[in-house]
Amino acid sequence: MGPIGKLGASGSIQVRRLNPLSPCGRGRVPTTVGVEGSELTSAKTRRTTPIVPTRYRIGVDIGGTFTDATLVNEASGEVRIGKVLTTPHDPSDGFLSLVRRMVKEAGILPGDLSFVVHATTVATNAIIEGKIARTGFVTTDGFRDMLEIARQIRPSLYDLQFEKPPPLVPRYLCFGVPERLDAMGAVVRKLDEKAVRQIAAALKKEDVEAVAVCLLHSYRNPAHERRVGEILRKALPGVLISISADVAPEFREYFRASTTVINASVRPTVGRYLRSIEKRLRDDGVDAELLVMQSSGGVFTFSAASERPVFMVESGPAAGAVSAAHLGRALGYDNVLSFDMGGTTAKLSLIQGGQPRVTKDYTVGAAAQRSAGAFGGAAGYPIRTPVVDLVEIGAGGGSIAWVDSGGALRVGPHSAGADPGPACYGLGGGEPTITDANLALGRLASGYFLGGEMKLDAVAARKVIQDRCAGPLELKPDEAANGIIEIANTAMVNALRLVSVQRGYDPREYVLIAFGGAGPMHANRLAEEAGVEKVLVPMSPGTFSALGLLVTDLRYDYSQTLIRRTDDLDPEDVSTAFEKLEEQGRAALAHAGVAKGSQAFERSIDMRYFGQSFELNIPPTFPLPRVASGRERARVGVEGTSATPALDANWLEALNTRFHDAHERAYGFKVATEPTEIVNLRVTAIGRISKPKLRDLKKSSRDPKSALKGARKVFFTAPSTAPDAPSTKRSKSGATPSGAGRASSAASGWTDTPVYDRYRLPAGAGISGPAIIEEHDSTTIILPGWQGETDVHGNLLLTRIPSPSRVPSGRGSG
Amino acid sequence: MPSSLPFDPIRFEVIRSALTQVTEEMAAALRRSAYSTNIKTRQDFSCAFFDKDCRPIAQSFAQPVHLGSFVELVPRAVRAYGPENMGPGDMIVVNDPYSGGSHLNDTTVFAPVFHPSQSQGRGSSETGSQGVGRTLSGGNSRQQGNGMDGGRSTGSGQGRSGRAEIKPRLIGYVAALAHHVDVGGGAPASIGPFQEIYQEGIIIQPVKLVENGQVVEDIFKLILAQIRSKRITAGDFRAQIAANLAGVRRVTDLIDRHGLDQFNQYVDLLLDYTARRTQSEMAKLPFGTFEAEGQLDYDGFTDKPVKLKVKITIGPGIGRGPATSSERAGDAVPDSSEPVGVFFDMTGCDPQRRAPVNSTYAMTFSACAYALRALMDRDLPINDGFYRYVKLNAPRGTVVNAVHPGAVVGGWETQIRVNDLLFKALSQGMPRAVAAGCKAMMAQAGFGVLDSRTGEYHCNYEALAGGYGGRFSKDGPDAVQGHGQNTENAPVEEVEINYPVRISRLSLIENSDGPGRQRGGLGLRRDYHFPNDAATFTILSDRDLEGPWGLFGGMPGEKAHYVLNPDGPGRPRMLTSKCVVQLKPGDTVSFQTPGGGGYGPPHERDPLLVLKDVRDGKVSVARAREFYRVAIDTETWVVNRTGTEVLRRSARSPITPVEGKATRTGPSLRSG
Repeated sequence: MGPIGKLGASGSIQVRRLNPLSPCGRGRVPTTVGVEGSELTSAKTRRTTPIVPTRYRIGVDIGGTFTDATLVNEASGEVRIGKVLTTPHDPSDGFLSLVRRMVKEAGILPGDLSFVVHATTVATNAIIEGKIARTGFVTTDGFRDMLEIARQIRPSLYDLQFEKPPPLVPRYLCFGVPERLDAMGAVVRKLDEKAVRQIAAALKKEDVEAVAVCLLHSYRNPAHERRVGEILRKALPGVLISISADVAPEFREYFRASTTVINASVRPTVGRYLRSIEKRLRDDGVDAELLVMQSSGGVFTFSAASERPVFMVESGPAAGAVSAAHLGRALGYDNVLSFDMGGTTAKLSLIQGGQPRVTKDYTVGAAAQRSAGAFGGAAGYPIRTPVVDLVEIGAGGGSIAWVDSGGALRVGPHSAGADPGPACYGLGGGEPTITDANLALGRLASGYFLGGEMKLDAVAARKVIQDRCAGPLELKPDEAANGIIEIANTAMVNALRLVSVQRGYDPREYVLIAFGGAGPMHANRLAEEAGVEKVLVPMSPGTFSALGLLVTDLRYDYSQTLIRRTDDLDPEDVSTAFEKLEEQGRAALAHAGVAKGSQAFERSIDMRYFGQSFELNIPPTFPLPRVASGRERARVGVEGTSATPALDANWLEALNTRFHDAHERAYGFKVATEPTEIVNLRVTAIGRISKPKLRDLKKSSRDPKSALKGARKVFFTAPSTAPDAPSTKRSKSGATPSGAGRASSAASGWTDTPVYDRYRLPAGAGISGPAIIEEHDSTTIILPGWQGETDVHGNLLLTRIPSPSRVPSGRGSG
Repeated sequence: MPSSLPFDPIRFEVIRSALTQVTEEMAAALRRSAYSTNIKTRQDFSCAFFDKDCRPIAQSFAQPVHLGSFVELVPRAVRAYGPENMGPGDMIVVNDPYSGGSHLNDTTVFAPVFHPSQSQGRGSSETGSQGVGRTLSGGNSRQQGNGMDGGRSTGSGQGRSGRAEIKPRLIGYVAALAHHVDVGGGAPASIGPFQEIYQEGIIIQPVKLVENGQVVEDIFKLILAQIRSKRITAGDFRAQIAANLAGVRRVTDLIDRHGLDQFNQYVDLLLDYTARRTQSEMAKLPFGTFEAEGQLDYDGFTDKPVKLKVKITIGPGIGRGPATSSERAGDAVPDSSEPVGVFFDMTGCDPQRRAPVNSTYAMTFSACAYALRALMDRDLPINDGFYRYVKLNAPRGTVVNAVHPGAVVGGWETQIRVNDLLFKALSQGMPRAVAAGCKAMMAQAGFGVLDSRTGEYHCNYEALAGGYGGRFSKDGPDAVQGHGQNTENAPVEEVEINYPVRISRLSLIENSDGPGRQRGGLGLRRDYHFPNDAATFTILSDRDLEGPWGLFGGMPGEKAHYVLNPDGPGRPRMLTSKCVVQLKPGDTVSFQTPGGGGYGPPHERDPLLVLKDVRDGKVSVARAREFYRVAIDTETWVVNRTGTEVLRRSARSPITPVEGKATRTGPSLRSG
């Protein structure tokens, strides 16, 4: 299989089995960990015959604390992971040293790498830390203060000491140029080129590194803007000029300007950074394609990233959602809730039709406030580029529990981080955290954290919970610890609702894929609270996110504002505009070396009722200029056929129908008699990249007993449904621990719980809850009333035990 | 008083955050499905949940001015309509200022929430949530009623499940308030210098807008017939209905989950918790009596200033008893054994005017609630447990508690100034907590225009930002909304796409800062140009005679300006702050809001901050010399130290007397 081939949506299953790995523990000296071949490898190699010389891909994810890498053998699917401490002074140092070590330990040559895929926070950090280039801003005369005025609102309502976020360009580097278009794009006032040259001279004198240009109504007619760009480029050699019509040609000037300014101001930094990595890789003999993860979940080339860095601000978090989407697709789940819980935060996102939901309503530099209601975004800088729609909240293993002045128990958003970390780490942490609570309740084993590399101090955990929470609240320590968990779960359920219910999707129709070190410990409870029926836990959840880098496609997003009522719409105009956008995409894909056969284009339209202010994105119902793959056909055609309807009245009617239905789903009503209008056209150009093949587990007995490590007492809580609720009343006949747990009236308490070694669980093994499944970097909890089953790829699938006349599985252990 | 019910802090936190989530989900539905720029983009709306006793339980984080007035409106509207006359699937619409509302544009749609519950929760989320939800969204016909007493009809869940008879029980109310772009009346956008309520638009006393899941077409038609922007407003009403549908679903779902008894118990606990925290926050406030006076420039019909006087008393035993009995509160002999309370007294404000500047009681209450809340922990929930401590005396028949048939459309101008005055009064006791004078006017601009290209009549409304006052250690931000108002600016491109208007300028106003050690924020200028059409333009605002006050030696901000054709054709003409003006094609109205007041003597300002302002062109070199006493070298962009020293040595105390007065009386009750 060549490096760029067709998407294998059917046929080969692309889920890897990670080997038991031993990445370093938090706060400890990290080492690069290679994986020796195991029996699983040989089982797999027998099945797969390489048809091209073996090549490798490496994904490198640079986070705040660690730089993670994943190396995949394209032919066998063998995966190695590695970790080093991030090198903040120059992140490319850590990047390079990690790549070198992994290549060396795999016993391959740098030239064997076909792809290097990178997730980086370099763009975001530049904004958050204020380390941006000296940037100028040019707009229409009379609007010089666009960035200062911003949205004219306060980020917090009742705070008399609030601040507006400082503009990224100081006022003395903002200029108005005499020119004006009207809303139709017609010239009202001619561009004053002389004035542009004067501005160029002033910018030169001020020694700017970058300039952002955003003129009013340039989304409709970019001629003035382009001319300004030309003049500036000529007058300011070496200065990077960003034009709003190129970066985000959509109406609403402040949002377009903010996007363009962010792009311009991080371009020099990002460009230098990527060039440095490229040079060092090339010097090492790496001739692989170099790609960067975008916020949208697609990847683009280093050169595209240097031009449009604003597209990669959420590079890292996107990888997790992409990973979850990929696993879901491979297993036949197109509707997935991705749940990633790490040390400081939890992130939830929704995957619809096999693709992460992408939004353009996004703010940089105010991450902590992302879910803080309507004005949270006013604390940062808006961007209008596609970003995986995720809600991030301050609930991670290190989140601190505290008692507020009104006597309520609260969790987060403050985190103990890795240092000093939770009290149970014994590194000096004096505040109770979620990890401490999990340990106190028996969910974590003190002797098997990170595979036993790190001992946890359960006595310290219980003591700090007693001192800080249970004592002041007059609760038993168990109740307090359980309360910490339940409160964190509630916050995560709310986040889950934000990405699902609040967007018009019912979580009960979704599979929850849980990862991150702490995700699998909380996932079952989240599912129970949100009504989710299935939970999927991939192997090695702690590093699952980084795999997303290697399972995505090249992606370029384009959009164009075209506001027209659908009853006054010439389909030709739509066609033409779409073709123009696709032409841009085709050029970008060709530039990246994507063969025609691997190119794909997805169109969509933002629509609203005429007069509404916000739009719904409607997937297309019209032909794509190529044969769609099976998956896309399913997504694209309402009729479910591959026939290509013309852009005519029928097409319009179908489009309108889709819009009305989408509106009803989102808001509970539709008005079929109301005129509709289109607002923005969007094209996503995709360059298909083949996905690495992955291995199966050996099938053996379905008996999990061989994986049983022992048992311990674990505290479980009753479901929060009303105790006498009919739906929870069930026959106690055939009761297992699970049945008893659910049926007993609101019983929360300690239960003898079997503990399994995940690496020894055979495919097809079924386990009834309550149960605990341990692996190196995570612990999965199966609640009473639920059951778990390992699939052939090693994934754990948790489902509710059918009720009321549930047949005891008999294969579980009690 | 704290309840004696057992307190499980875990379930408490679960229910508490779920309740907030209810209103946030309502707000999301409203925001995204609304039609008007004012509601969607500017977010001029709010959502709330009330329990069956009409106590406010949870609110979305939106416009504080709305939230305070909600608290008055919904209980009164429920009483007026009678809870016994509402059934599942009904929604009531109301905007009557004299039923607890504010100005007519702020129209509320609320829905009773019923749950087909026995005293215990049924726990079945399937039947439970559908019982009400389906009826509302699907418009199924109401189940055969079983009498007019109590629940009045059975839930649809019963019919479906064939369960033993279960009466739907009234749980509470969800409510969505939105500022409609137009509600009819004497001027486009329904704002203008009116003299009585009947000129201001359609007055809606509580009536059913939705019955049993179906819009009551007769009522809807009657309302829309009065309104200029029919299509957009119809869409906005539907968005309010959508918000309530979301709220009803979510509340019933919550009760399914927790059971009704438990739900009620934890609602009580939540209010107790909030009350406890409010009390402990109030105990930290400085004790004493704080007063301030101020005025609106004029009322819109006479040149007579509108005098305002506020008095806040804080101390043990203050503010007990019924909210509106002033005698006890203000003059009580403090008894340090009693809990600390706060009392707001508006005695001394002018009698109401035959002019638009009258605030309703609900609006004035809202100003006091905002002021009190802003002094407390940012994390404090806002519900009945907080509101019960907002004690206010606003004498009837005054500009802060107008009675029928007073015009109220400009009452927000009075309301927000009252808010500013409350902070001015408190500056005597909490100088580090408050800001100098802010924009403190709603700054409402509206226009109506018949588009010659399409023949459609357009109506637009927005409220502009201005300078915020300087604070103890921070400058006042430039061009930002203040106090209870937090609406966004309408994007220029969006406005020009939708209306035959050209925004020819949107900028900060240089040199409009109130000089101070911490300067006031700059005002905002927005110019509306009508290239092709005649238009009717309305301004309902203030501050064109006096700018926002400074504090502690800080100077006032630049006042507002309202100018017709500032750059021609012909000579510019000054407009008043409360007017309706007919524009010819080609005319321009320039709306220029005030700068914020300064805090502390300007000659004590850090010269480097002055340098930054001068470099940014926000403050001129001359102004830097004159007020801030800083000499700046504009070639090298450095502070001329010698020149500055000379200037500062000669600085007479540049105190401009603070207009009005703020005083503190009475001994501090705090020991030490």
